[in-house]
Amino acid sequence: MKINDVVCPFCGCLCDDLEITVEHNRIVAVDNGCTLANAKFMSKEQLASPIRRTGEGWENISYDEAIQYTVDMLLDADRPLLYGWSGTHGEAQCIGVHVSELVGGIIDSTTSVCHGPSILAIQEVGHPGCTLGRVKNRADVVIYWGCNPLEAHPRHMSRYTTYADGYFLQNAFRERKVIVVDVRETETARVADEFIRIKEGGDYAVLSALRAIVRGKGDVVPESVAGVSRSQLERIVTLCKDAKFGAIFFGLGLTMTRGKYKNVRNAIELVDELSRHTKFTITPMRGHWNVYGSNEVFTWMTGYPYAIDFCRGIAFYNPGETSAIDLLARKECDACLIIGSDPGAHFPRGCVEHLAEIPTVVIDPVPTMTTALADVQIPVAVSGIDADGTAYRMDGVPIRVRKVIEPTLPNDREVLKSIHAKMKEAKGQ
Amino acid sequence: MKVTLEVKPRQKPYLPIEAEGIVPRTFFEGTDSLTVFRGNKELPLEEIFNVAIEGEAESVDEVEIIILGDSSRIKRVGEYMDGGRIHITGDIGMHCGNFMSAGEIVIDGNADAWLGREMRGGRIRCHGSAGDYCAAGYRGEKRGMRGGTVEVFGDAGDFTAETLAGGSVIIHGNAGDLSGVDMKEGELTIMGDTSRACANMSGGMAYVHGTVNDMIPTFRKIGQEKVNGEPYTRFSGDIANRGKGTLFIRNYKYLD
Repeated sequence: MKINDVVCPFCGCLCDDLEITVEHNRIVAVDNGCTLANAKFMSKEQLASPIRRTGEGWENISYDEAIQYTVDMLLDADRPLLYGWSGTHGEAQCIGVHVSELVGGIIDSTTSVCHGPSILAIQEVGHPGCTLGRVKNRADVVIYWGCNPLEAHPRHMSRYTTYADGYFLQNAFRERKVIVVDVRETETARVADEFIRIKEGGDYAVLSALRAIVRGKGDVVPESVAGVSRSQLERIVTLCKDAKFGAIFFGLGLTMTRGKYKNVRNAIELVDELSRHTKFTITPMRGHWNVYGSNEVFTWMTGYPYAIDFCRGIAFYNPGETSAIDLLARKECDACLIIGSDPGAHFPRGCVEHLAEIPTVVIDPVPTMTTALADVQIPVAVSGIDADGTAYRMDGVPIRVRKVIEPTLPNDREVLKSIHAKMKEAKGQ
Repeated sequence: MKVTLEVKPRQKPYLPIEAEGIVPRTFFEGTDSLTVFRGNKELPLEEIFNVAIEGEAESVDEVEIIILGDSSRIKRVGEYMDGGRIHITGDIGMHCGNFMSAGEIVIDGNADAWLGREMRGGRIRCHGSAGDYCAAGYRGEKRGMRGGTVEVFGDAGDFTAETLAGGSVIIHGNAGDLSGVDMKEGELTIMGDTSRACANMSGGMAYVHGTVNDMIPTFRKIGQEKVNGEPYTRFSGDIANRGKGTLFIRNYKYLD
């Protein structure tokens, strides 16, 4: 059986044109997807039942036992951390917030290790953004800054920018100019009309220089800024000012390098400056398929987008203090529930060591690096494959991910609901 | 009145204690039910500290709090302080002296991040080093510290005096990256080195007596001037931000 218009639950592009072939409740073929999508849909490593660590290895336990263990662990803790959330759907994230509030814990999503700085910058100076549809149909200048979409978001350029047809562009591929800014010549840089190679850590200086040139104050800028010549910067500014509609996309090259959110703030202020001459917008290249959703859900429920501390009964937000990396590195939490992410594979060593020391439960369909640190793992259905739910694309558009095969396991929403119900019961509510 | 708080050993020493109640006014007004938080558990002050109170006070300015022992994970001491004195003999945790408007905090050891965040007045002296965001603002706020003095005798971390909007900040050692970023008013003095000082500043005054590494390229060079008889370069900016701030720098290097 072929299913059309399936949404891919891998990256922030949320491509919604995949064609999936299902035989005997198993996916046998994926069409239109990139290699990342293929790998996700064709994965067969799902755990069959919850597992608990014993002295020698692992034992299978029932869902009830696993859920009871999680509830007891969270209730015993003084400062539990509930981390992840980007690999699950919005409805589960909602329940996650309720659980965090009930137990008095800290809820943080993978945002704090990817585009958290972008949000801090947006909180300072706002977000001149737009949907990807507008970029596709209007943008004649596209800037990729500190990101490599050809490898990390493989269909971004073909669906929304360089290779996509545009309603207001006669010959989109020829009319669109692509500028890539990076510290090394990536795959994406090779297809760019203009490549700006910056010395590591020089993004902030280059953005400042561009802003000054846009303002007509280029005379203060030295001949070379972080490895980029002033003549190239002037050429870029002319290209941008002559654009009918410009779009900047930026990745972790901007958010997770020296200066972090101040880099992003500078980029937003460059967009602000350019918008005095033409129309410019800026969009973060979000990684996980529903990381934007975690920010949306947390914001509408708590007022803050990530790193929310409920320990005092009210929401407190201060990334750097209440974000997962900082909590773990400083050993400031004493239990951890991980859902929809793999910190064991991505976090610094000190953080991983602390995770291994404290009681940790992982809710994830497949064994991951984090399993090695956990005491209990609860397998669930995969959102977008055998569970449905709402996700937010990198430009903030909500898209419903579908269920293409019948589930054999409960989904995130159901597991979290039981945890919440048991917790309420234990608290006598 | 002299209040001595000695930190007791804790079973989970890394879990932070939030103790915004530790301000002179609380003890001046009486403290029958002062509590602090360890994560989500609310505990009486006596469970975390050995408390000794000697003497009486006529006004809040006559109250002195002395903190002994390992207070490096005690957060928010001196928050909203409006008079009196706090003397911390060791290190202190995050957010010490948040929003304080009067009085004095003396720290013999190091201070963690957000020392004197959004301070309005009074004086903080830290004899060790300060963490990131010393004398800075809160997330998303346009204005940070607005008055008073913060003096750090050791080094300070990144984003020192971020969004400074009044008062003065003196760092006797080195300051980290982006010191004085987005500052608007007030005065920042760094005796040692720093990098990318005063990026995006719109106003205020800063002196760097050491070297500024990776100098922001959008400051206009006004010329050489003497400060205390030594030659300094005077800059105005940040031009990228239509800024009118002033920078006096002994040495600088661009990232070219």
